[in-house]
Amino acid sequence: MSLLDVRDLSIVFSRRGRRDVRAVDEVTFSVAAGETVGLVGESGCGKSVTSLAIMGLLPKRGAAVGGSIKFDGTELTSLPADKMRGLRGRDIAMVFQDPMTSLNPVIPIGLQVTEVLRRHRDMDAAAASKEAASLLERVGIPDPARRLKEYPHQLSGGMRQRALIAMALACKPRLLIADEPTTALDVTIQAQILELLKELVVDSGTALVMITHDLGVVAGMCDSVHVMYSGRIVERASRWELFEAPRHPYTAGLLASVPRLDQARGEKLEPIPGSPRDTIPWTQGCAFAPRCRNRIESCTQGAPELVADKLRPDHDLRCFNPIDVAEQEAVTL
Amino acid sequence: MSTEKQQPAGNGRDAENLLSVRGLQVHFPIKKGILVDRVVGHVKAVDGVDLDVAKGTTYGLVGESGCGKSTLGRAILRLIEPTAGTISFDGVDVRAQRGEDMRRLRRRMQMVFQDPLASLDPRQSVESVLTEPLRTHGYGNGKADHAKRVRELLDVVGLPANAAGRYPHEFSGGQRQRVGIARALALSPDLIIADEPVSALDVSIQAQIVNLLEELQEQLGLTYIVVAHDLAVVRHVSDTIGVMYLGALVEESPSDDLYAEPLHPYTIALMSAIPIPDPKVEERRERILLTGDLPSPANTPPGCRFHTRCPFRQPKRCADELPALREIRPGRKVACHYAEDIAAGHIRPAESVHDPAATEVGTPTVVAS
Amino acid sequence: MSLQVAESAIQQAEHADEAGGGLWREAFRRLVRKPAAIIGAIFVAIFVIVAVFAPLIAPYSPTATDLSQIKGPGHIPGPSSTHWLGLDDLGRDVFSRMIYGARQSLVVGVVSMAFGMVGGIILGLLAGGLGGWVDATIMRFVDMMLAIPGLLFAIGIAAMLGQSLVSVMIAIGVVNIPVFARLLRGQMLAQREADYALAAKSLGVKRSRIILGHVFPNSLSPVIVQGTLTLATAIIEAAGLAFLGLSGADPAIPEWGRMLADTQKFLTSAPQLVFYPGIAIVLSALGFTLLGESLREALDPKNRR
Repeated sequence: MSLLDVRDLSIVFSRRGRRDVRAVDEVTFSVAAGETVGLVGESGCGKSVTSLAIMGLLPKRGAAVGGSIKFDGTELTSLPADKMRGLRGRDIAMVFQDPMTSLNPVIPIGLQVTEVLRRHRDMDAAAASKEAASLLERVGIPDPARRLKEYPHQLSGGMRQRALIAMALACKPRLLIADEPTTALDVTIQAQILELLKELVVDSGTALVMITHDLGVVAGMCDSVHVMYSGRIVERASRWELFEAPRHPYTAGLLASVPRLDQARGEKLEPIPGSPRDTIPWTQGCAFAPRCRNRIESCTQGAPELVADKLRPDHDLRCFNPIDVAEQEAVTL
Repeated sequence: MSTEKQQPAGNGRDAENLLSVRGLQVHFPIKKGILVDRVVGHVKAVDGVDLDVAKGTTYGLVGESGCGKSTLGRAILRLIEPTAGTISFDGVDVRAQRGEDMRRLRRRMQMVFQDPLASLDPRQSVESVLTEPLRTHGYGNGKADHAKRVRELLDVVGLPANAAGRYPHEFSGGQRQRVGIARALALSPDLIIADEPVSALDVSIQAQIVNLLEELQEQLGLTYIVVAHDLAVVRHVSDTIGVMYLGALVEESPSDDLYAEPLHPYTIALMSAIPIPDPKVEERRERILLTGDLPSPANTPPGCRFHTRCPFRQPKRCADELPALREIRPGRKVACHYAEDIAAGHIRPAESVHDPAATEVGTPTVVAS
Repeated sequence: MSLQVAESAIQQAEHADEAGGGLWREAFRRLVRKPAAIIGAIFVAIFVIVAVFAPLIAPYSPTATDLSQIKGPGHIPGPSSTHWLGLDDLGRDVFSRMIYGARQSLVVGVVSMAFGMVGGIILGLLAGGLGGWVDATIMRFVDMMLAIPGLLFAIGIAAMLGQSLVSVMIAIGVVNIPVFARLLRGQMLAQREADYALAAKSLGVKRSRIILGHVFPNSLSPVIVQGTLTLATAIIEAAGLAFLGLSGADPAIPEWGRMLADTQKFLTSAPQLVFYPGIAIVLSALGFTLLGESLREALDPKNRR
């Protein structure tokens, strides 16, 4: 039984005098307790908008959310705002990319953490500040008693992100959504944060949705991976399966275009031509078709559906002409 | 400061080295005061760097934010004025050039910036961006030559000829970076310093720019210094890699050897922290987690700069003696007192190191994932 | 946060159909989508058309008196079919005077704003472009000017220069010089640090050319926005100075501020006489403010990607 169940999610932004923008469409995925699910894609693929929809943080006006988002059986898309607020922070928490804008700059870190504890866990002031200190300690902030009194700008970027994670953990959320949590950080700090998130999933059975553009991050921690392109999921598989045998030309292209630290140097990278802007609307075919090396005629005549891969088990694919497994060797090596 | 005797001082340079930097420092004064500014300290952004770049090769500078790599790149071009040290470019003492001479020297050393949109004047069309250097240095004879050169440049970076009439905001990130590269190429420079040339771009675009830079190097015999935080990208493009930490080089190595055997504890930790897009590799890797943050460059730790976070720290020397960047094997330089012992496996990373003097630091641990 | 994400999603999706043209053209496209900008532009357009074509629009001469309508001392005729807004105490057609008054206000607003803007740009360009002691000297001078309350300063200058319309315009212009100077200088200091300025330096472009060719043009848009907003305040300030009797010009020439001053004694008997110039000042100032604020948003680099 999955904790979060997203079915056929669509998000359409509309504005007076402008064309509607379908930012997310046909997005379906689920996350079970203790599971880590990755949403991977480049800027504008709809991964962040999806996370905001789950959190109920999209603007009420101008954003139409379709489909269903069920959290532990409760439908979130139709949940009243006050119920959603109760859920948010207590059962579902989110960590954003930029820790500075997510923390209130004029309130000490300690107060921001204890406020969450007092509101959602009904702690008194003394218990809350004790719990806050232990939370900071847990996320690896040294000397937590002193840090609690400090303001966000007095902490380094890595510390702030850890403080933010501490806040997200304050209520022992059952679902944590991390939206590019390490993109603004240095790699050595990133390694610390990722380690922290992994521990959290293992120790407390939190379900984690990891949103990132970094395939390396996904490879190390996600049980299943959803690759998004232009608002839709184009490939889904376990990380083992996905990195072993990427079937969608976009996934394979991404993998072939990043240099790997552990591979011999000197081979040319194989970039994906064009840019993520060079898409066609899904109504006219596959959005990736203009950039796709495997494009065939049917790709620009209608949109492919996300269906189970015939050749590989536990692998879904939205492609008319996927890379076949034998050809695979040539692409990944 | 950290310049060691074994390097010839001053203008010493090999015939093949296009660029030689010795003891380069960039110290920014920290000023305080209400009416009269008083200098109360210095941010040592670059604190004594020696490096040599051979003609036609790529030197990669890596390090985390705040390590001074970008400042170093800019100081070499004197876009930021160094406070000490020498820069010798093709035998010319760059720091001795004044006014018009410096301006003329600039045509031979160019820069590619991180954020292609910020580095292009939003009010200039691509044509104007590309003719500006030509006009500045009196290229060719007037408009016809300039137009011809603009077409050449667009072609060489893979942009259509009609791009000339368009403005930076009309392009995608990758195309803008191509414009930035075309501008850097306009005056046929010998050296290009690329400061994070791909980090602002989408993943699928990065390889396009990396490949373009490599092709241009082959075609035009360019010499590059590539400054980046992404070690995988730097390793891919560079012949030699310099790893920076708190304003100084801690390791320099041919890039083929660096992943196989990093020598400096910081490089070891940095390398182990970089995720690799392959679950099988990720599962097997030993990750050395550094705890704590980078100390402030205004207040660098005494002794080895890295000792406050170093999982291999030893009780002797590390905290009070600054290690020199020394060549312990042909082509491999490292600034660590115990590099040989670490490489030989005599010193293992500490399970738990605690220094009561450094509360900021926390405890480095080793996690095998 | 969520709005930003939504915004950037929309922008990304829209980018394809928004290509073409320079920055100003793009800003213009954003501008015409704003209702506030349209309303502001309509007010401003009416104001300018009325001012320029005053002799063609006004049914009567602003100085002609029609004493036949005045039935006795203190009688002020209200609106009628012949005189749409009625007559004033001297039997002059208020509607015609209002229209000619627009002319006066526009001239005062534009000239004093231009005076302040040009003066401010010169000082700001010197300070922001040369830096060092020039900057320090100019900015201390500017700080001193800013320390004096604006209207008080203007009254002082106008009183010093003598009662005339020109002295009102100079007074308002001088008061606005430090505002423009400070704005431009601050903007230039920020733009000088921008990567494109560094890029120009690395190409060997001369310093003067970097400042004048790159930094200055890219620092101008907030100055232009400020200019539009200053037009609004200049109109109000000019009316204020006229109200205080400092405009000095021929009392027969209608001017909204003076009309306000001259008619306040009829506030109880004929309140419409005070109402007309008052509302005209408010609407014209509002028009310029709406336009200026919309322009500021349209030119904001944050709205650009």
